[in-house]
Amino acid sequence: MKRFILLLCLYLPFTTTASEEARARSIIDEMEQLYRGDSSDATITMEVETPQYQRTLKMTGQSLGKELAFFRILSPKKDRGVATLKRDEEMWNYFPKINKVIKVPPSMMMGSWMGSDFTNDDLVKETQLIDAYHLSMTEDKAMYRVTLTPKEQTVTVWGKIDYVISKDPLLPVSQSFYDEDGEKIRELTFLEPREYEGKLMPSILEMTPLNKEGHKTRIIYDAITFNVPGITKQTFSMRNLKSRF
Amino acid sequence: MLTLRIAFRNILRQKRRSLLTGLSMTGGYMLFVFAYSLLEGSYGNIIDIFTLDNTGHIQVHKEDYLDKPKIYKSVQDRATVESTLSDHPKVKSFTPRVFSPALAYGTDKTAPSRVIGVDTETEPTVSRLREKVSEGNYFSTAPDADGYYEAMIGHGLATSLKIGVADEIVLISQGADGSIANDIFVVAAIIGNRTSFDRMAVYLPLATAQEFLAMGGDVHEYAMLIDHRDNSRRVADELAGFLPDLTVSPWEEVQATFYRTMQSDRQGNNFMMGLIVFIVFIGVLNTVLMSVLERTREFGVLRAIGARPASLIRLITLETSILATISVLLGMVLIAPMVYWLSQVGFLVPEPIDMGGIEFQHMKGEFSLQVFLTPMMFMLVTAILISIPPGIRAARILPKEAMGAH
Repeated sequence: MKRFILLLCLYLPFTTTASEEARARSIIDEMEQLYRGDSSDATITMEVETPQYQRTLKMTGQSLGKELAFFRILSPKKDRGVATLKRDEEMWNYFPKINKVIKVPPSMMMGSWMGSDFTNDDLVKETQLIDAYHLSMTEDKAMYRVTLTPKEQTVTVWGKIDYVISKDPLLPVSQSFYDEDGEKIRELTFLEPREYEGKLMPSILEMTPLNKEGHKTRIIYDAITFNVPGITKQTFSMRNLKSRF
Repeated sequence: MLTLRIAFRNILRQKRRSLLTGLSMTGGYMLFVFAYSLLEGSYGNIIDIFTLDNTGHIQVHKEDYLDKPKIYKSVQDRATVESTLSDHPKVKSFTPRVFSPALAYGTDKTAPSRVIGVDTETEPTVSRLREKVSEGNYFSTAPDADGYYEAMIGHGLATSLKIGVADEIVLISQGADGSIANDIFVVAAIIGNRTSFDRMAVYLPLATAQEFLAMGGDVHEYAMLIDHRDNSRRVADELAGFLPDLTVSPWEEVQATFYRTMQSDRQGNNFMMGLIVFIVFIGVLNTVLMSVLERTREFGVLRAIGARPASLIRLITLETSILATISVLLGMVLIAPMVYWLSQVGFLVPEPIDMGGIEFQHMKGEFSLQVFLTPMMFMLVTAILISIPPGIRAARILPKEAMGAH
């Protein structure tokens, strides 16, 4: 009996962390699912602000599951038709003016995507938080605070990500990215929740890099529909990437 | 006046000795001037090579573009800059440029390259771009029948992309507004050879490059030529006064590494020339000492009738200076035509020096006042210095002992 209690005492902490990690996992999964559904079709406005210039891009974005995503710029006119295809961990850009598909090399993954403060990596990896990170969670009355630390085998530049989620409604509030020295590098905040087809979700994603003064990128969801029958694997083919439109 | 007369008499007393001493000084001076002229000339040559080939004598940039180039550090108020430059009497010509790194695609190859946007009209007045066209024709600002603009590419880029004149080249770069610049151009000419500094460059007409990089009307650089390369610092300072918001850099700053190397090289050469003068003057010292020794009796008499030690030192210094001045003047007359020939024709180099696609066949000297005056001053000062020890020796002579000497 005594031995059993001892064993139980040893075991208990693990069960609680395990179950907590599972809860955190399901919460984050739900957050990720929020913007994606099984498939999604969105119209997005991206505003890039730097000390030197402001730029507004309008684009469409489609996704299917976790692995496939496709973006195409509608305006400004100069960039119209420039497209990005993401398949698993790979990315390609298509430039209609020169009729060329260019694969984003691994070395460019941390580079800016279309001149914004989002990196190519954000597009590729953002959807794999759950698999690549250890999760631990604390909660208070209004918020869940999930801390993500990378697993040993995960290739990432982040030492830690703090993910804050409000409980009611259950929506993402912010993500803070820290480097390996524990210094906060950038913050992604989720603003102005809006209903899209009856589904409440933040309509603005604002990325602020803290190491670059005056830089900021806002992604505004103008419209988004989920579980669109027209989006199939064909949408994410090289042929579609190269199609003139 | 009396001292001067005595000095002349003494020089003329030993005509042969004075002549030989004088000739050794003349020879030393000529050697000095010749080496100095050749050295300054070859520096001048190298400086001309890169200032006239590319950098110009003075450049104007925004902030610290020269050290840390960023696409948005651009000159926006071009009208002010251009009117300032055209109003300055020493500025002969100037031209605007834009730069950006880019990825270049041939048919199936890729290479890193550098986009240089230049004004097709004014660029040839500052750099040798037009002369460096090795294949094809100098580009124009007009698009071809298919609407593609012309580009001129460096020899190295043409080789690595395996493209030639009339082929297409695709460029991808980052625009000033954060967009991805991408466009197709048609190769109008190949520039330079494989040693040119711009072997990996893509030259575009200015307006085309500005549109490609989404820069509006802005430029990154103004390069200019002025009346003479040696005035670069002074003119740069004057221009900086008119253009307080911009950075004005003379070529000494643009090519700082070269300039520092040149300065230290020059120091080494000055030491060598000092050595020539030193050897010449050991002989001169010998002569002066001898003439003092053989005149011990004479100095003794002078002292006895009341000449002061200081006036004896002055006498000997004067003798040497007169001899040195005559020698140097003679040397100047003899060497001047030669230096002139050196500056105009120069030595034929057995193998032409190739500098970025332009060949130099002659090693030329410099013909300027400085080339003659610097060695002259050096010789005269050394002559005075070297005659002081014998002078002191003469001043210390005691009349009593001197009278007994032979």
